[in-house]
Amino acid sequence: MNKKPLVELKGVKKRIGKKDIIHGLTFDIYGGEVFGFLGPNGAGKTTTIRMMVGLMSLSGGQILIKGKNIESQYKQAVSEVGAIVENPEMYKFLTGYQNLIHYSRMVKGVSKGRIAEVIELVGLTNRIHEKVKTYSLGMRQRLGLAQALLHSPSVLILDEPTNGLDPAGIREIRYYLRQLAEKEGIAVIVSSHLLSEMELMCDRIAIIQNGKLIGVQSTKEFVESGTERKVRFLVDEIAAARHAVSHHVKSERITLGNGFIEAEMERELIPEVTATLVVEGVKVYGISTETRTLEDKFLEVTGGKEIV
Amino acid sequence: MSNFIGLIRNENMKIYSRIGNLIMIVLLIGFIGLTGILTKTDKTKPVSDNWKQELKEQNASMQKEIKKEPVMKSHYERNIAINEYRVTQNIKPMDTKSQWSFIGESPDAIQFILIFTIIVAGGMVASEFSWGTIKLLLIRPVSRSTILASKYVSTLLYALLLIVITFVFSWLWGGILFGFELSPGTHLSYADGKVIEENMIWHMWKEYGFASILLLMMATFAFMMSTIFRNSSLAIGFSIFLSMSGTVAVQLLSKYEWVKYILFANVDLKQYFDGTPLTKGMTLNFSLAVLAVYFVLFVALSWLVFKKRDVAA
Repeated sequence: MNKKPLVELKGVKKRIGKKDIIHGLTFDIYGGEVFGFLGPNGAGKTTTIRMMVGLMSLSGGQILIKGKNIESQYKQAVSEVGAIVENPEMYKFLTGYQNLIHYSRMVKGVSKGRIAEVIELVGLTNRIHEKVKTYSLGMRQRLGLAQALLHSPSVLILDEPTNGLDPAGIREIRYYLRQLAEKEGIAVIVSSHLLSEMELMCDRIAIIQNGKLIGVQSTKEFVESGTERKVRFLVDEIAAARHAVSHHVKSERITLGNGFIEAEMERELIPEVTATLVVEGVKVYGISTETRTLEDKFLEVTGGKEIV
Repeated sequence: MSNFIGLIRNENMKIYSRIGNLIMIVLLIGFIGLTGILTKTDKTKPVSDNWKQELKEQNASMQKEIKKEPVMKSHYERNIAINEYRVTQNIKPMDTKSQWSFIGESPDAIQFILIFTIIVAGGMVASEFSWGTIKLLLIRPVSRSTILASKYVSTLLYALLLIVITFVFSWLWGGILFGFELSPGTHLSYADGKVIEENMIWHMWKEYGFASILLLMMATFAFMMSTIFRNSSLAIGFSIFLSMSGTVAVQLLSKYEWVKYILFANVDLKQYFDGTPLTKGMTLNFSLAVLAVYFVLFVALSWLVFKKRDVAA
């Protein structure tokens, strides 16, 4: 993270009418990372994304993309950006291929070969010459991704990219976004309301609420830090297990369930607790860590409001 | 520039991929085709060899009518002058059942072209908003002004295509039905109390040109409405309503002097070449100036709104 950021937000503000929607956001996004953008509805996620791609003007501050100001150097800045804003709405009466031709004519240097490459990449080769109105939401999502990648941008911005995808599709896109970030050094910016999704996909997550940045959190740090999390052991003897676990964890932090025992502990403690269980003759069928920490954190910082 | 041509190709692809816009072309051809058949089966007799005598009789009856209906005075005067000119200069009137007479009727089809162009213009910007595609369209390294210009030019190209289709198909269909005429003769018009001879082909193009002024202005108006209100129904409905009622309204208001500043009082430039102006004090240059002011206003408003607006749809 010692390189120059690809995207810089500096005190970005947005005022619509007399209402301040965004109160000054400042953060940087680097190449090679998947950056999550998290917040309850109406927090200003989409507004911020719209400002990053030049659909909305800024009321204050500035957004730089590869050092170019999105407002004063719009063309240079935006040619580094590929995006899907909200749903991937394409021209339904055109074929997928015509849609891509349409967008390729709006940038310089996209060859037929590049178009074919992108189609292959998103796995639409078989259906690309059919009209978009015959596509499923998942296919539209892929086509949306294809148009965003057409001009090989260095910043990829996706609003709710897993919306409407089935679990296999979600896994695929997750894998693909990671590839883009790691192999091609692209900065991928993702907004999503699925927290578990964000944890799996993102390197860092920015949480915003009411147009204010609450914090930028590194997902890895979070997961690997000493923060306590709930660990669930699937065991046969609940009472014996409780006894074993209580050597390490205070009893008020232990909850018992039907065939399992849950305890809040630090990551480093898990092997020790497991060893004790085994030594005390408890059969352990499974150990799972509840990855709800981010959600908990999120609920904590946003005051426990519903996140949808 | 190659970039701009690419944008126009994009817009054209979007216009001609929609079945509705192609149906309008079919309707237009159908309308001309039908008019041709109706003219062909019509019972009007061809111009007789005794046409000089007939014109003299017509003039005599019109002289009487003038006294009864002074409102129609200028209209009758024009016809009488032209008839006299025909008799003295030996220029036979054109047969209604002839190729060029048929082509001469086709500027009526511009009424349809007007409506069809308004439909395309009214959806040009508004549809991108209702489809949601505006968000993907405007995040390219192309300025909003260039995108708007490509949309406007494509709208005008659609209108031009319809006009060319009308002319070519009228010429072809007229020729098939009534026989091809390579030298269609002379057209007579009347202005400032004088009869003027004109080449027929040149005259036809002038007719098309005059009829296209309303087309251009209303297409621009519909385009502006589409850009400002982002609602194609509103843009189309309002523009068609104005086109239909504007000319009539101007006639009804012609006793007031300020009527000359209304757009519709100035769209018919033919009034300066063949006929009499709507009110006194109106000249060709005046009308051209008024048209220019409206045109610049429509274009500037579209541009300002499109350029500045936050896209939140």
